[in-house]
Amino acid sequence: MGWIDMAWPMVGATSLTLGLIYLLIWLRQRSQHGYLLFFVAAAAVAAFSLFELRMMRATTADEYATTLRWAHVPIFILFLSLVGFVRLYFRTGRPWPGYAACGLRAVSLLLNFRTGVNINFVQVTAMLTVPVWGGESVQIPVGVANPYVVVAQLSNLLLIAFVADATVGLWRRGDPNARRRAAVVGGGILLFMLAGSVLAALLNYGLIRIPTAVSVAFLGVIVAMAYDLGWDVIAAAGLNARLRESEDKLRESEHRLQLAASAGELGLWEWSVAADEIWTTREGRVLFGYEADERVDLSRFLRSIHPDDRAAVERDVRAALNKGGSDFDQDFRIVLPDGRLRWVRSRGRIDRDESGVAMLLRGATHDVTARGQAEERFRTLVEAAPSAMLVVDTEGIITLANARAVTMFGYARQELLGRPVEMLIPERLRSLHEAHRQAYREEWRPRAMGAGRELFAVRKDGTELPVEVGLNPMQTFEGRFVLASVVDVSERKRSELETARQRDQMAHLARVAMLGELSGSLAHELNQPLAAILSNAQAAQRFLGRDPPELDRVTEILADIVKSDKRAGDVITRLRSLLKKEEPQHRPLDVNELVQEVLVLMRSDLLNRQIAVRTQLAQELPPVSGDRVQLQQVLLNLLINGCDAMGDTVTQRDITVRSESALARGVRISVADNGTGIPSEDLERIFEPFVTTKPQGLGLGLAVCRSIVRSHNGQLSAANNPSGGATFTIELPAADRLT
Amino acid sequence: MQTRTVYLVDDDPDVLLATQRLLVSAGLDVAAFQSARAFLEHYDTATSGCLVLDLAMPEVTGPELQRTLAERDAPLPIVFLTGRGDIRACAEAMKQGAVDFLAKPVDGADLLSSVNQALTKAAALQTERAARTHAEKALAGLTVRERQVLVHVVAGRLNKQIAADLGTGEKTIKYHRGNLMKKLGVRSVAQLVRLVQRAGVGAPGAEV
Repeated sequence: MGWIDMAWPMVGATSLTLGLIYLLIWLRQRSQHGYLLFFVAAAAVAAFSLFELRMMRATTADEYATTLRWAHVPIFILFLSLVGFVRLYFRTGRPWPGYAACGLRAVSLLLNFRTGVNINFVQVTAMLTVPVWGGESVQIPVGVANPYVVVAQLSNLLLIAFVADATVGLWRRGDPNARRRAAVVGGGILLFMLAGSVLAALLNYGLIRIPTAVSVAFLGVIVAMAYDLGWDVIAAAGLNARLRESEDKLRESEHRLQLAASAGELGLWEWSVAADEIWTTREGRVLFGYEADERVDLSRFLRSIHPDDRAAVERDVRAALNKGGSDFDQDFRIVLPDGRLRWVRSRGRIDRDESGVAMLLRGATHDVTARGQAEERFRTLVEAAPSAMLVVDTEGIITLANARAVTMFGYARQELLGRPVEMLIPERLRSLHEAHRQAYREEWRPRAMGAGRELFAVRKDGTELPVEVGLNPMQTFEGRFVLASVVDVSERKRSELETARQRDQMAHLARVAMLGELSGSLAHELNQPLAAILSNAQAAQRFLGRDPPELDRVTEILADIVKSDKRAGDVITRLRSLLKKEEPQHRPLDVNELVQEVLVLMRSDLLNRQIAVRTQLAQELPPVSGDRVQLQQVLLNLLINGCDAMGDTVTQRDITVRSESALARGVRISVADNGTGIPSEDLERIFEPFVTTKPQGLGLGLAVCRSIVRSHNGQLSAANNPSGGATFTIELPAADRLT
Repeated sequence: MQTRTVYLVDDDPDVLLATQRLLVSAGLDVAAFQSARAFLEHYDTATSGCLVLDLAMPEVTGPELQRTLAERDAPLPIVFLTGRGDIRACAEAMKQGAVDFLAKPVDGADLLSSVNQALTKAAALQTERAARTHAEKALAGLTVRERQVLVHVVAGRLNKQIAADLGTGEKTIKYHRGNLMKKLGVRSVAQLVRLVQRAGVGAPGAEV
């Protein structure tokens, strides 16, 4: 067997194999007619290759002529399928040359069976054995050419023109995919069709003596077509993979949604408005207490809702259905079949058609029973709280008020709810409060209201009450609120006043007792001006008695008498103010002035006890706010204590009074002696009442001093000096710090 | 007779001035000081006068000044003034030789009476002081032997006894005795004894 006997069946087998591959593909994708057309073309080429081999091996002229006649059948089929394929695949170019080519080929097939031995020859006269490459030989015909063969050749040209026209059209489309298809498929078909047609014509007119290899050219056409189809298959496979991927993803996200929905105990639902049918997930059915196979419509849904909430929910559903209606968002209670209550929150969104008519309402519902119960508990707690509780929104509107608030302010609950909280504030403070409320929005944290200021609230009847207010921010689903707890401090204020009154009384008693101790010194202070007055007056009498009276001297003396009288008057006034029982009056005081005044009162006593007083008074101290008499009392007490502490045992008796500015805008006054000091275990105890180191002492002095200093927002402390003796230190805030 | 000054010390300027005026109105010569220190700077022990002194004063107090003056042997009688009746201080001051102790406010008549008393005492002190100075001066002019004899004479011994004690003759004693009587300007033993007492010479035999 020679190579020709092997090569031509291989051409046929190759073509058929390609065709079968696409036949299989077509069987799976019936809509892709291109695959079927290709299979037909490939099968035709395979058939033609076998006819061609038989022609080359024909022993008689008749055999050759008959084989050739039948070989035109697959060629016709090839034509039809080729035109169909190009039309289907290129979708461009003029269709008529294709149809004309098919028509002419049909005519030539008719002529093939009606004229001569076939369309090519009128008569085949002889067969020549022609040697070919490889020591092989083939039979080629010798005969008279059929004049009708031009019809077949014309159909070939029309087919070529048709393909060329479509190819150019495709190329002009411009995108890379179309150009590739034009170049490979269009170009390939053209090239091999042209080659096949020329070869056939040359053989027909006996111009060359070579084996009839037209099927080889047709195989080229088939390969070119298959190449393009292969691209499609690959693209389709890629598309398929992506499709599968996205399907997977879709399935996954659906899965996730399901998972999230069930984890969050979310019941998903969808209500087809027109059909009035509600679909829900399994969780949704459990949530609402529906049977697994129960048909649910709107009325069933409404029936599952607590009667108190039903009307509101229905109203909201209707509102959502209206044109331009909003989304559905409601909290309500469900009555489960076993009678239990369940708080849920349901949110939904409307799907509308183009005209705005509601088609679908779909959404999710979740169980907020725990939160609802927490809210109930919160309300119960607030209601039971001993102080008045108000929940106020950021606009200052009261949204909740408890029972105590009702009794405290004298308003009915309904008169409080929905009203601005400023109604509870005295008119004179209202504008201030609004500003504070604005400021609180910026500083969102729990705190006491109006730290350091006295706050007042006003009742319905217009009476005011002193209050203390604690503010707590609350962040809720409905936004920010402030929980204000208001405590009536009238009672406490009263008892504070009472305490202050008692303290002042005690201070007065201690003061009187202390002045008793100082009486000698005070008598002396009064005695001095009286002595001066007496001497001056008697001297004046003498000067008047002279002859002539020395009136100049008398005038001088009278002026001095007036001066001394004033001095005595001052002493008495001071004494009286110390003895008087008056409400303390807080005024700005110069600390150094205070020290000097006290030292004047003490002067005689200090002289008598042989005590030297040194003062170290800082200049430009801020004034302190206080009651002059009470602070003088404290200083006097500390000075007397210092003197007593030095007794007779100390030879050099010194007291140092110092004033200086203290930390944080305050003033410090210290009284230091060089006496025996205080046992360290007594340093704190000496401020307790009835603790004394003096034989005659009541033990009230320092206790009273400390309570006075504390009532001035100050501190009184004692410490021993490193060099002996003790120092008492008063610290008072500067007056401007208090306001 | 030289002028006598009333020294006035009080730390209270009003009282000081008023007291000064009262004393001046009585025609007294007054020197006023606001502190003991200022007074001491000014005071001369040779002058004559009295002191009106405030008891309680800063730094140097009245009693302290009293002590200082005593140490200096100043012939200055003191009248104390005090704002408070301090009995202990009063007793102590009187013990130390104060003329009077007056409580403020003091009546002018009382003060002037006390001041006059003090000034009289001052005059007496001055006379006494002059006599003593004279006696001391005279005694200083005696020889050693004459002084020895003087002591025995003042002790009341006879010439014969003195001669025996001193180991000499009665005539020699008589001679010394005549000399010293002449030197001291006395005529009788009684006069001699008074002079010796004034000069502060101790008891007989104290200086032999």
